[in-house]
Amino acid sequence: MLRILHDTNYDFIRWWKVMAGITVAFILLGLGSLAIKPPNYSIEFTGGTLMQLEFTQPPDVGEIRSALDDAGIHGAEIQQFGSNRDFTVRAQNPSQVAAQAKGAENIAVTIEAVLKKKFGENSFKAGRTEAVGPRVGQELKRGAIVAILLSFLITLVYLSIRFEWRFATAAVIATSHDVFTTIAFLKLMHLEISLTVVAGLLTVLGYSLNDTIIIFDRVRENLRKGRKETLYETLNRSINETLPRSVLTHATAFAATLALLFFAGEVIRPFAWVMAFGIVTGTFSSIYVAAPVLIWIERKWPRKTGARQSSSTATPTSRTRRSPATATR
Amino acid sequence: MNLKWRVGIILGLIAASVWALFPRTVVERVKRNGEFVYDTVRRVPLKRGLDLQGGMHLALEVDESKGHVADKSKAIDNALKVVRNRIDEFGVSEPVVQKAGNDRIIVELPGIDDPRRAQDVVQKSAFLEFQITDKTQALEKALPRLDALLKNTKVAANAPTTGGKKDTTNAGLQSLFTADTSKKADTSRTDTTNAAAGTTGGPGAFSKLVRPPAVDQSGQMPGEYYVAQSDVGLVTQYLSMPDVQAALPPAKVIRWSSDTLSYGGTIYRPLYVLDAKPIITGEFLTDAKPNTSPTEGNIVQFTMNNEGARRFRTETSRHIKDYMAIVLDQRVMGRPPIIQSAIGANGQITMGGKDLQAAQDLALVLRAGSLPVPLKIADVTQIGASLGKDSIHKGITAGIIAVALVVVIMLGYYRFSGALAVAALALYLLYTLAALAWFSAVLTLPGLAGFVLSIGIAVDANVLIFERIREELAHGKTVRTAIDEGFRHAMSAIVDSNVSTALTAAVLYQYGTGPVRGFAVTLLAGIAASMISAIFVVRTFYMLWLNRSREAQQALSI
Repeated sequence: MLRILHDTNYDFIRWWKVMAGITVAFILLGLGSLAIKPPNYSIEFTGGTLMQLEFTQPPDVGEIRSALDDAGIHGAEIQQFGSNRDFTVRAQNPSQVAAQAKGAENIAVTIEAVLKKKFGENSFKAGRTEAVGPRVGQELKRGAIVAILLSFLITLVYLSIRFEWRFATAAVIATSHDVFTTIAFLKLMHLEISLTVVAGLLTVLGYSLNDTIIIFDRVRENLRKGRKETLYETLNRSINETLPRSVLTHATAFAATLALLFFAGEVIRPFAWVMAFGIVTGTFSSIYVAAPVLIWIERKWPRKTGARQSSSTATPTSRTRRSPATATR
Repeated sequence: MNLKWRVGIILGLIAASVWALFPRTVVERVKRNGEFVYDTVRRVPLKRGLDLQGGMHLALEVDESKGHVADKSKAIDNALKVVRNRIDEFGVSEPVVQKAGNDRIIVELPGIDDPRRAQDVVQKSAFLEFQITDKTQALEKALPRLDALLKNTKVAANAPTTGGKKDTTNAGLQSLFTADTSKKADTSRTDTTNAAAGTTGGPGAFSKLVRPPAVDQSGQMPGEYYVAQSDVGLVTQYLSMPDVQAALPPAKVIRWSSDTLSYGGTIYRPLYVLDAKPIITGEFLTDAKPNTSPTEGNIVQFTMNNEGARRFRTETSRHIKDYMAIVLDQRVMGRPPIIQSAIGANGQITMGGKDLQAAQDLALVLRAGSLPVPLKIADVTQIGASLGKDSIHKGITAGIIAVALVVVIMLGYYRFSGALAVAALALYLLYTLAALAWFSAVLTLPGLAGFVLSIGIAVDANVLIFERIREELAHGKTVRTAIDEGFRHAMSAIVDSNVSTALTAAVLYQYGTGPVRGFAVTLLAGIAASMISAIFVVRTFYMLWLNRSREAQQALSI
């Protein structure tokens, strides 16, 4: 039997202050960077035009830009996309978006016409064209935010039923933490926020929640055993007991993510990046956010001493039970 | 549950999955030599989204820049019919044209990769014309000219694309003709059959493909010709050639019918030669509604305004016993009716035995055609077919690598039990794909990525179970008890984590669009399949193994 991290007894939670410092610093770095410069939203959200062009000969980027400028399409972003014959052209200036209010295809048709004029009729093929009017973009943005909030709410309700509200709240706070770290990550990596990336973010939330639930499931079970130990100790024990599972699952999930990152192509790469980071932050938050938050909630609003939770009488949390927290109730 | 039952269920699921995924023959329109032809292809019945097979997605909205539209929902309903009619011209297989929300039309055109064609859908104004069919046999007269022209120019797409079949022999083409070939207007090929011109009016390049209806058919009308559906693309191509256009009879226009008809086992699309000058246009039409008349069956009654009524009366009185084609966006709607008497403000179109639905549709089209709602494109996405293929190829590569890595990890760590998990993973892949095929779910690029990712996550349930079994074994339990307890204890964690993921996926499905929705569907199918394979299948494998060997009960490789 091959075993890794079997029967460990690390005091994970002891480091929570250090870890909180690291994660808060990371989030602040991301948010600060966002405050200076807003995130790159894909044209799905802002409106605008994206064309993926496949040239027969490697073109000169300057020439593409000057051709577009001559046609009045200023400030378009031209990026290499894979090989040196593949380029994306993004036009998402407010003026260009406004032009698309009349008809979303306008800019795309112009871009294609001027580039054909410049480089020749058969010099390139438009592999992909996305043109979104301003209204559709606004609706999608709202839809994405509603989706994230709604998934939180549903999770909160489900976990409140299956566990109890303290666990549910801790799990949702841990997951919200992942939203912030992932947004910070997106910003620091200069990744564009697209619909696929939002789908990736929601997958990360699901994954992180999964991980938290596995640990909390163990906590629930250990609490039922009625050991004489504090919640702090129970949480540590549960994290240690689920450690082999965590390592294995994260390893296989990471393996699949790496396969996506390196082999699934440019379009999927941002999604794969989000997922790769998500595995890290999801694991981190299960241990260093969910657990300390649960302890904190428990201290403020202690559970009633039931038959099963007799152990909690010995916890430091319950010792503070009759102090300010209850007084505020 | 009895072991036999378990094995039976697993085998049954495998059989059902294989059946669901078995490649089957479907008739599709495919693009060949720049034209769409019907062809049969054999493929796995998995629906690919536009981002994987290439195509175009459009969202259309009412354009209010030219004036406020009071009832957008109704306006969109009217426009829907017009758009659908235009989309038919594209000749796309399985187009989607549907109303989304209250004020938007979604159009999906698989296989179309020219964004400029998107403009055609909305920028043509819905234009209604009433035109008299040609009585002068102008096309017949022009035929020798056309055939000679096509012979000289040696059309590039010379080989007719008859339904994807290669054997377009002369005999096959000849069979297009009916006994009466005197009015033939065909566009057949430039080959030796030209010699047989004689009475047939010359089965040249053009004349061969176009023929008048059989003489014995009731209600034969002047200016009507039939073209086999499979030849429509070729004839359209001929007609679009500048030289051919120059040689067409003057003051006449050639229009396709919006309908097809079956005659003698072949599908034909009528082609009409019409007087170019319309007797009246839809700008005067104020209303149209379907009705049923006891004598004439289903009809559409329309109303003209005063000026229109006056003109219409004058024109129709001059054309009694002529056939009047109702042309919308250059398409002849239904078979042109005969003008029995002068028509004034109120006219009617008899539907010729068609059902009330057809009458309702035509009325809607007439109203929409006469009162066009300007549309604009709110959103367009176009993906080239080669890019789609490339995405599938890369997705499959990533999937194979993901499977290989997961197999190595599971076998390396759990040995024999890992092998069981790997077998369950294979079933997981099969079940998920089968579920997608079964529910006709659309596989998109994000969906494909989600599927690859799920390979890594699907084994989580097995990992949970195996770790539990290890714990039970460490507590000194027997193999059989440890396995039972392991499954039992892992269950709550597996259920809770999967249900919460499924809830997130459901939210994604509800609020996502297109590709993201495809992602949510793949995720949901994956969750269901992974629960079945990890819990039920692996458990059964253990039971089988425990029953097989005595020593199995002594030590478990995990």
